[in-house]
Amino acid sequence: MAIQVSGITKQFGSYRALDSVDLEVRSGELLALLGPSGSGKTTLLRIMAGLESPDAGSLQLNGEEALGLKPRDRQVGFVFQHYALFRHMTVFDNVAFGLKVRPRAQRLPNAEIKRRVSELLELVQLGHFADRYPAQLSGGQRQRVALARALAIEPKVLLLDEPFGALDAKVRKELRRWLRKLHDEIHITSVFVTHDQEEALELADRVVVMSQGRIEQIGSPAEVYDHPSSAFVYEFLGQVNRFDCMVEGGLAHIGNGALAIPTDGDVRGAAIAYVRPHDLGVTPAVGGPGRVSGIHVVGPDARVEIELGGLFLEAEMDRERFTSLGMALGDSCSVHIDRARVFAR
Amino acid sequence: MVATSSADVAFPEKGSAVTSILKKPSVLPGFGLTLGFTLSYLGVIVLLPLGALIAKASGLGWYGFWGAVLTPRVFAAFEVSFGLSLAAAAVNAVFGFIVAWVLVRYEFPGKRLVDALVDLPFALPTAVAGIALSALYAPNGWVGKPLNELFGLKVAFTPIGIAIALTFVGLPFVVRTVQPILQELPPEEEEAAVSLGATRGQTFWQVVFPAVLPALVTGFALSFARGVGEYGSVIFIAGNMPGLTEILPLLIVIKLEQYDYAGAAAVGASMLLVSFVMLLILNILQHWMRSRHAR
Repeated sequence: MAIQVSGITKQFGSYRALDSVDLEVRSGELLALLGPSGSGKTTLLRIMAGLESPDAGSLQLNGEEALGLKPRDRQVGFVFQHYALFRHMTVFDNVAFGLKVRPRAQRLPNAEIKRRVSELLELVQLGHFADRYPAQLSGGQRQRVALARALAIEPKVLLLDEPFGALDAKVRKELRRWLRKLHDEIHITSVFVTHDQEEALELADRVVVMSQGRIEQIGSPAEVYDHPSSAFVYEFLGQVNRFDCMVEGGLAHIGNGALAIPTDGDVRGAAIAYVRPHDLGVTPAVGGPGRVSGIHVVGPDARVEIELGGLFLEAEMDRERFTSLGMALGDSCSVHIDRARVFAR
Repeated sequence: MVATSSADVAFPEKGSAVTSILKKPSVLPGFGLTLGFTLSYLGVIVLLPLGALIAKASGLGWYGFWGAVLTPRVFAAFEVSFGLSLAAAAVNAVFGFIVAWVLVRYEFPGKRLVDALVDLPFALPTAVAGIALSALYAPNGWVGKPLNELFGLKVAFTPIGIAIALTFVGLPFVVRTVQPILQELPPEEEEAAVSLGATRGQTFWQVVFPAVLPALVTGFALSFARGVGEYGSVIFIAGNMPGLTEILPLLIVIKLEQYDYAGAAAVGASMLLVSFVMLLILNILQHWMRSRHAR
């Protein structure tokens, strides 16, 4: 089911959580709402679920206006960051809840409910835990129960609010991969909120980057990472070197003229330049403008910190290349940058 | 009796805290010291007077004891005290829950004042409450008169009056035990229920209520225990007719005034036994409910 958000605005007191947001969620895709806290991403998700109502705008589910609908009439499954499992119910009863509260006329026979819940518990690999209480499960298991519970009502859309936020790093990674696999199997239109860029880039078909109640950029993970459309997206996604520069004649001059980098776009004058650490080339050069001021070698990557005309830049390369360069702390070097993205200040 | 009945409630709680310390070593030292202190403190404050009570009662001997307790007047007083305390606790459970709900869920002008009002029955001398209530509900009182004229309902000097007094003194117990639990209840659980298709009624009865139930039972038990031991507020409004509106604590005082110390002790000891069994049952019930979904 496709979701069409147009002009959604939401104000909490004097704080504008969402400022006329337009967004289309395509049927069957897995979409990430990515942004720092306070960017309005969770509010947008809650508006889609009907747990919050906007001050203005419209929301269409499958082409039909949905703002007037109660949450329970929207056919939306919602997964909460802190699971929100019913703690006095067993895992089985939690998953069965959505089926048991249906009006008598639409309710499935008990045997059918039982079969369906068992099936879902198998799907989330918790078949043996049906009789446990949520307190007896680990965080990852609880979140999978929450997912099974949301899927039980056969929603047309699955909305997940920081679904891995409360889990530790290892479980988070496993569950992420598992969710991707699940989505590839059942192809349910899904929107998840996260502040973790790695999670968004790895998991989603498309990423929506949000900041201060507005959408900064929408695109595939590769698009938003390689071609950020704004300074905010550049800084928010991945590691980046950021420095002040003067742009003149298509060249950005940085570090008091220590280096001039070609730029595109039509920015002139004082600006801010962004360069990813892995786009920064370093070669040892006696009498070069740079000086190696820090070396961190962890795993397959080497990060080299370089001082250049009063600026500190970070370069990233693989370990073998770093070893072949034979650089040591304090060595002089030259710095080479193919291209920098420049945004007016 | 007020002191002993509330101590009965606290005692099993303390006991379980002690065993959990025994199981899990804490970073703070002083287990021996605190356990020793706890036991001797409870011994002096709670067990010593209770022991003296039982020792006094046992002076009567087996047949003397039952002879003093198994009389129609004592039986009737048991019925009045325990029956009306249960009724008052039940009323408090319902309305105390609503008060707590309103205080937690809604914002309204004067909320802090209302919140403070809830504690007044704790602070007010019970005799003052009793006199005020009996003046209100007496046949010529502000509330008693219209009730009598319109519905022919007599409140003061009947069991209804006793129940009203016990409801008054027991209310804060329910509100103050339920309130913090309601406050902590994550709104996400309700939102989850609603997004899964539950109606408001289903969300309340199947999600909110079961989560609050253990606290509600605690509040019920405290209110009940307070009611059984209550003396001051009841004797003014009760009318104190033997067999009809005579409560157990009053019966004990009457026996004392007749220099029947052993008889008073016997009634007191039997009352203690019944209270203890009832509170024990409530505690077990609560423990069972809590253990199922301890966080």
